[in-house]
Amino acid sequence: MISRRALEILTATLTGVFGLAVVISSLDNGIGWSSDGVDAGTFPFLTGVIIVAASLYNLARGALAGTAVAVSRSDLKRGAALFLPAAAFVGFIPWLGFYLASAGYMFGVLALPKHLTLPRSLAIAVATPLFLYVVFERLFEVTLPHGALAAAFGY
Amino acid sequence: MENLQSLLHGFTIAVTAPHLVLMVTGVLLGILVGVLPGLGAPNGVSLLLPLTFGMQPVSAIILLSSMYWGALFGGSVTSILFNIPGEPSSVATTFDGYPMARDGRPTTALATAFGSAAFGALVGVVLITFLASWVAQVALAFGPAEYFAVYFLAFASFVGMGGAAPMKTVVAMAIGFAIAAIGIDTVSGSVRLTMGIDELVKGVSFVVAVMGLFGIGELLIAVEEEFHARAVSSKIEWREVFRALAALPRHGIALLRSAAIGCWMGITPGGPTAASFMSYGIAKRFSRRGQRFGAGEVEGVIAPETADHAAGTSALLPMLSLGIPGSATAAVMMGGLMIWGLNPGPMLFVDQKDFVWGLIASMYVGNIVAVTLVLLTVPVFAALMRIPFVIVAPLIVIICAVGAYSVSNSYLDVVLMLGFGVVGYLFKKLSYPLAPLVLATVIGDKAEDAFRQSMLISKGSLGIFFANRLVTSLVIAGFALLFLPLVLQILRALRGGAPQRAASEEIPIT
Repeated sequence: MISRRALEILTATLTGVFGLAVVISSLDNGIGWSSDGVDAGTFPFLTGVIIVAASLYNLARGALAGTAVAVSRSDLKRGAALFLPAAAFVGFIPWLGFYLASAGYMFGVLALPKHLTLPRSLAIAVATPLFLYVVFERLFEVTLPHGALAAAFGY
Repeated sequence: MENLQSLLHGFTIAVTAPHLVLMVTGVLLGILVGVLPGLGAPNGVSLLLPLTFGMQPVSAIILLSSMYWGALFGGSVTSILFNIPGEPSSVATTFDGYPMARDGRPTTALATAFGSAAFGALVGVVLITFLASWVAQVALAFGPAEYFAVYFLAFASFVGMGGAAPMKTVVAMAIGFAIAAIGIDTVSGSVRLTMGIDELVKGVSFVVAVMGLFGIGELLIAVEEEFHARAVSSKIEWREVFRALAALPRHGIALLRSAAIGCWMGITPGGPTAASFMSYGIAKRFSRRGQRFGAGEVEGVIAPETADHAAGTSALLPMLSLGIPGSATAAVMMGGLMIWGLNPGPMLFVDQKDFVWGLIASMYVGNIVAVTLVLLTVPVFAALMRIPFVIVAPLIVIICAVGAYSVSNSYLDVVLMLGFGVVGYLFKKLSYPLAPLVLATVIGDKAEDAFRQSMLISKGSLGIFFANRLVTSLVIAGFALLFLPLVLQILRALRGGAPQRAASEEIPIT
């Protein structure tokens, strides 16, 4: 269970760290005015400072926020059930390639929790990459990654 | 009216059986690429271009421009149904279109979007027909300072609206600017904010951010909120389509205002994206039901769609009359023009009268063909909403991944997209507004470039933004839009009616 306060603090910290990274990174480009006009780092630097300042404010306000539950245990479970397979799918793309990974992903999320029967899940799992292949690779000549596995077989 | 005669002559060229067949083909293909994120009008144009080499230039441009109309219409479909905008200009459509679809009104949302889009496009074409030469002059008067003023106007009309906590809005917008700055800086050529990751040199495309923030983020929110609340009827609701279209004239003022904003932003090179955001912002401010924008308000769909298409159409004019392509699609089309042996530019209107007026006439007919076809597909697309969530959710993940990858064939983008999904979830959960972030991502670097170029020209003096009538009035209009809500609020507070406004600041999240 995650309270509203914890979520506010987490988000404000994330944005603050991002802002800090922007500030530090933009210093390399130079800030201020030079013979080339406004230096490349000036605007990112300013936005970084604004992000940090506003994040600190949000952090302070967030720390004062109520401790009411923002994400309940069942929320978290459902969210994870959606996000973790998606992350796994993205993680497998470099190895399996887009087509195999999407087939496995569809089959995994449909058949394993028994949302659909095995044949139906299998049909959708095969149809999805097939559709992607025909439309993207054949029709519009947009190549999706084939993955290390396919490369090993010479595709 | 010399133009009217030329137009009538153009119709005799455009409305022939083979050309109508080309239009239908082009529109259908356009809808396909428009609906599929990851593919867009440029893909379709490049696919069709080789087929056009043997054709008459008029036939070729009719085929390509019809495809462009189809893609423009198709882009709104995924925005409304799945909260995934396929292109920058349809982001603003998600704000009210998606809530409408989730409410069980996908048919109404789609029909309204298409109807108002067609209206916007037709206004744009009429403008091209009668003001071609004047419009070309306006576009030529635009320097960096004017560009910046237009972007400033777009921001000003959008900022300050909505009930989000002010500091959260500031963070969201500043993050958008920072994301826009990642990659090669176009003014100095130096590499910015890559934080040591080489692949980031190409920058982070808006598409990657939007697919994650809107597409994945929305999924994560939806999975929590016992999603099956949407009661979409299983019958194909033709009557619903007509009812939505018949209701459009009731929003006549919104339609006209949005079309005017769209045409203005299309001629001045603000572009369709800035136009749709600006139109949405202004509609929210001036509509009687503005408070309810964002929860599925019809005018919230009408405003961005009308402006988007009005801008998209009127933006074709600079391409023809000046030879400046306003978008990737226009650039590919211009390549086509040159291959067919035509030179875009001022002389085109003199040398190639048949071609130009045939094209303009085909815009009228093409848009009518497009809106008819796309309305026919509404029930089919609305039916997509009935697919169970367990199947749709992974499909959306896959589609977002394809979309993110195909922007620049980069795997890193897919990973970033997923990261943006988590950010989108957190932001939505804590009511950080996403719209300012997206707007800043889309036009942030352009605004910055324009500002720095103007500073170079003026050697650091801000006076350049008040140097002539055009830029001064743009800047003043921007400031007016920025401070108008504040002034109104103060006036209201003086009259003692402030409490309602304060109450809406923190929306409790359940």
